[in-house]
Amino acid sequence: MNPLRPLFVGARVSRVEDPRLLRGQGQYVADVNVPGMLAVAFVRSPYAAARIAKIDTRAAAGMPGVVAVWTAADARLQIVHEGQGITQTVLASDHVRFVGEPVVAVIAQDAYLAEDAADLVEIEYDAQEPVLDAHRSQHDEPRQVHHGRSNVVFSRTTGTEGFQEAFASAPRHVSLTFTTKRQAATPIEPRAVAALPDPFGDRLTVYVTHQSPHEVRRQLAQILGWPEQRVHVVVPEVGGGFGIKAMFYPEYAVVAEAARRLGRPVKWVSDRREAFLTDAHARDAEHVVDIAFTDAGRIVAVQDHVYGDTGAWPLWNFPGAVGEAMWASDMLPGPYQIPHVAIEITVVFSNKAPLGPYRGVGGPIGAQVQEGIIEGVARALGRDPVEIRRANLIENDQFPYRSATGQLYDQGSYGASMDAALRLMDLEKFREEQTRLRREGRYLGLGLCVFVEPSAFAESEAGSVPYESVELRMDTTGTVTATCGLGPTGQGHETTLAQIIASQLGIRVEDVTVLHGDTDNAPVGGGTGGSRSGTIGGGAALRASGELKDKIVTLAAHMLEASRDDIVLEGGRAEVTGVPGHGVPIADIARRAYLEVGALPEGMEPGLEVLGRYKPPMAATYSNGTHAAMVEVDVASGLVQVLDYVAVNDCGVVINPTIVEGQIHGGVAQGIGSALLEELHYDDAGQLTTTSLMDYLLPTLVDVPPMRVEHMETPSLSLGGFKGMGEGSLIGAPPAIANAITDALAPFGVLVTDIPVSPDQVLRWVEKARA
Amino acid sequence: MSEPKAEKVAVTLNVNGAERTVTVEPRWLLSDVLRQEFGLTGVHIGCEHGVCGACTILVDGEPVRSCLQFAVQAEGARIETVEALGTPEEMDPVQTAFWEKHGLQCGYCTPGMVLTAKALLDRVPNPTEAEIRHALSGNLCRCTGYQFIVEAVERAAELRAEG
Amino acid sequence: MSMTPFRYARPMALRDALADLTEHPEARVLAGGMSLLPLMKMDLAAPERLIDLGRVQELQGITETPDGIRIGAMTRHFELASDEVVGRCAPIVAQAAAHVGDPQVRHRGTIGGSLAHADPAADLPAAMLAADAVIEAASADGSRMIPAADFFVGPLVTELRPGEMLVAVRIPMLQGRRQHYEKVPHPASGYAVVGVAISLAVAGGVVQEARIGVTGVAGHAYRAHAAERALEGEGLNPGVIAKASSLAAEGEEILGDAVYASAEYRRHLLQVTLSRALQRVS
Repeated sequence: MNPLRPLFVGARVSRVEDPRLLRGQGQYVADVNVPGMLAVAFVRSPYAAARIAKIDTRAAAGMPGVVAVWTAADARLQIVHEGQGITQTVLASDHVRFVGEPVVAVIAQDAYLAEDAADLVEIEYDAQEPVLDAHRSQHDEPRQVHHGRSNVVFSRTTGTEGFQEAFASAPRHVSLTFTTKRQAATPIEPRAVAALPDPFGDRLTVYVTHQSPHEVRRQLAQILGWPEQRVHVVVPEVGGGFGIKAMFYPEYAVVAEAARRLGRPVKWVSDRREAFLTDAHARDAEHVVDIAFTDAGRIVAVQDHVYGDTGAWPLWNFPGAVGEAMWASDMLPGPYQIPHVAIEITVVFSNKAPLGPYRGVGGPIGAQVQEGIIEGVARALGRDPVEIRRANLIENDQFPYRSATGQLYDQGSYGASMDAALRLMDLEKFREEQTRLRREGRYLGLGLCVFVEPSAFAESEAGSVPYESVELRMDTTGTVTATCGLGPTGQGHETTLAQIIASQLGIRVEDVTVLHGDTDNAPVGGGTGGSRSGTIGGGAALRASGELKDKIVTLAAHMLEASRDDIVLEGGRAEVTGVPGHGVPIADIARRAYLEVGALPEGMEPGLEVLGRYKPPMAATYSNGTHAAMVEVDVASGLVQVLDYVAVNDCGVVINPTIVEGQIHGGVAQGIGSALLEELHYDDAGQLTTTSLMDYLLPTLVDVPPMRVEHMETPSLSLGGFKGMGEGSLIGAPPAIANAITDALAPFGVLVTDIPVSPDQVLRWVEKARA
Repeated sequence: MSEPKAEKVAVTLNVNGAERTVTVEPRWLLSDVLRQEFGLTGVHIGCEHGVCGACTILVDGEPVRSCLQFAVQAEGARIETVEALGTPEEMDPVQTAFWEKHGLQCGYCTPGMVLTAKALLDRVPNPTEAEIRHALSGNLCRCTGYQFIVEAVERAAELRAEG
Repeated sequence: MSMTPFRYARPMALRDALADLTEHPEARVLAGGMSLLPLMKMDLAAPERLIDLGRVQELQGITETPDGIRIGAMTRHFELASDEVVGRCAPIVAQAAAHVGDPQVRHRGTIGGSLAHADPAADLPAAMLAADAVIEAASADGSRMIPAADFFVGPLVTELRPGEMLVAVRIPMLQGRRQHYEKVPHPASGYAVVGVAISLAVAGGVVQEARIGVTGVAGHAYRAHAAERALEGEGLNPGVIAKASSLAAEGEEILGDAVYASAEYRRHLLQVTLSRALQRVS
């Protein structure tokens, strides 16, 4: 049962964050400006692989306004990647391993000067042949990225018992290879960091664009060799993160160290080119899949060999492409009953930028493979993919369901969400229209993705701890300040947590202020990532507000001389049920708790301050839903237009439907980019050729269609019944679009397995079919 | 900002209704000068190469990118940033509509979106959905998928009509 | 993305601007800056001096002349796209201007800047070629007229000489011609992956004179002469349209890029785009 009265939870509350953002008063890290602040510019490697022969910083250091020029030897900071047995200096020493790797830091009076001076740094390189192909890299060809260490970062083979027999004995087989190109999360706000020595003590305040304030504090303290309490991390507004801002980057260490050593405030703001070169890249995997199935379309066994390319370095404490590959293969069965799997994972180093988390991590690729398998089976049997989905979907009475890859799915609405999406799209009518238009030479297609979204992992890329904490302080007037360790980047936690707390306490949403991102006032938390904030953070808010409510009710019962059981908190008052008008304002209760402590009940502590922690009872909770995309493919120009889009989403109890819809819309837009536009392209020399928004194509208003969203609510076992939902839309959208193209181009025998699909590719398919 | 090397020139800018003279290097971008010399940090820098639109301001009422203009070029022009919209008591109808319709998430593209939308509505008080999409096509948003932004502009048109 | 420092001049009169350019032949002329600033930020241009034409009165404005219109170099795309005179006398120019970049670019970018920059994928060069426009160039020594067909020489290279600047564009009266600009825009930049501008004089169902300007696919915008010849003297029937479209790339080296659109793709798309443009006016 939903423990919340539907007072604010479930309501379309307008966000409390918005007025300041709309007025341009939101303060982002780039806006942090104090007198005397220095700026850093980085000189970065122009080579994918080279030995550093010589660095001459004299001209730069001699320029007026330049305060310091650092090489690796000056910075003297390193990140030890224990799992991989390699050590990374924060500025490259001896060798560079990807284009964009920082080599020299120039610290000057302002950013213009720092960049002018950076141009004067002379570095001689001996170029080496770069490692760019995962298949060759696994054999250490053409060379080792890290001398003396195999290029294979990770290699693992797993499978269900009886796989071989099940696979071999199945009557039908099909093989498909799926690829997703390297992509970039591309938040519109670039990364930035500003470090300020504390004039009142030996501390450092670090403002940083980050999703996990406590994690970055821990990492900074470790790399600087300082006690954690001397590092104060503040995460102000963050202009989008999508996973890449959950990572630690070398620039953060350099800026913090410069501030500490120079005793001056220091700031670095990434430009867009640096963002493309050094923000964690994502995806970039190949899945070689063999499928065994029956004549009726039941999938019996799937074998998947995953190749992942993690780039030149791991990201600190994040498994990079290993995470991408493992998550993708773990989620490969998706919502389907696939009894047998065999999975081999090969992840290698290359001379490309480090690979890390981007919204969905392995989810989008896993879903692409899972839904591609359905399309492949349908095509092989000459049947509608909807029928194949229906034949394989996990039924409601099978929950909790243990997938062949070991995931334990909690209750969901897999079949129901698909039915709803088909109803919204009116499949039957669409098929008629499709047939009619094909006769006119127009190619429309409808594609589905029935997705399962693992969320609220007890551990995730941001969730270095398996719980969240919320501290509530009701003040003497009955309003509440909540602090937490979450790191929102636009998700609206100030509103959703306030809704939860206000609902519990019977006060108005605007009477709750939620503070986050400041390690000096927030209890330790894991941060935001892996769709964990609503579920785990929301659970913590519920727990804390439940405890606070408890105390308020006890005090109210005392003041009203009534039984605790008869007290309800509503409309800013504690009322005795059944006795209209017999109540007391919560403000009076708060006043009593702090200022009239002589009148407190025997044994009650003064004050209304509680700390609530919450760790969900399960390893993860699984949201689900179905996305349906309708596209038109212009077979003359190769251009694909998304005409209509439906998302049916089940994330358990919905805290704020408007915010959930906004998250879905945004993920779908990113999915359209992923399926049709976005590709980080390295040339044969290892140069990234897509380093501007002119080359790396983000969806604009004219690429994204109007979307329709329908909610379903199957509660989780977590406190409040919430499930995470930040990533499902980017898991569901790319396969839905890809499959819509598959459907549209069925007359040409096309089955989309590689994304993004370029117009060029569409034309090649069409021409090939016509030839 | 920087001292040596280049000449500095005085430039008088009319920003949000007030004239002020600042000394700048000719190479300083209008976006940087608005942020650093005028403290108008609602001017956001997203790409610095004229694509994302986060730095959009109004110059003589029309939306332009402040990262693709030198401050010296703007002398004599009427510059408006997001900080000029509304009053401390009441937001501009466009801002109110974005609030009502959840037309923003992280807020980074928001000032540029709001100003571009305002310029559209000043010229076309009752735009169609297609007109809205084209008018805002020079502003990238990575969070919202644009849908609620389009609805916000439609709502803003209504609010302005209601006066 | 910081730029190299430069000196800045802001002449109020054309005479002063030309004198400045004569005195500083290394200077770059700054119009709307929509192309020059990105180049400078990427270090592809590092001029020591910029001559800002923003205040030069003689470069402003659109005027009707006895045989067409004259458009001042500093006319912004937005004005070009919405101006009554341009819309009436040279709709192809207005249409192409409406396709430039995005709204922010159109409010700032100028016709003179776009043509003098000569980006191989810009919209206006194609329209100039289809319109038989004449470029008015001036230097301290005087002015001369350059037919648009001779003006675009290579990527970012025009017929303008050192010390010379583009001051206006003259468009003959195109009223009565069938005109259309068909474009497949690049998803990010808004530049043309392919852009085709056509202007046809048609009488009695027969094409008397054809002008086809093509942008986006080659080192510079060009006139598709072979396609024009295939149309002239013919009716706009499907066979003729197919024939003309197949000749759109005749004699040109088609260029591609590694990421979005290969040469092969552009060549195909050019044919499709010309065909669609011709269907629109038939």
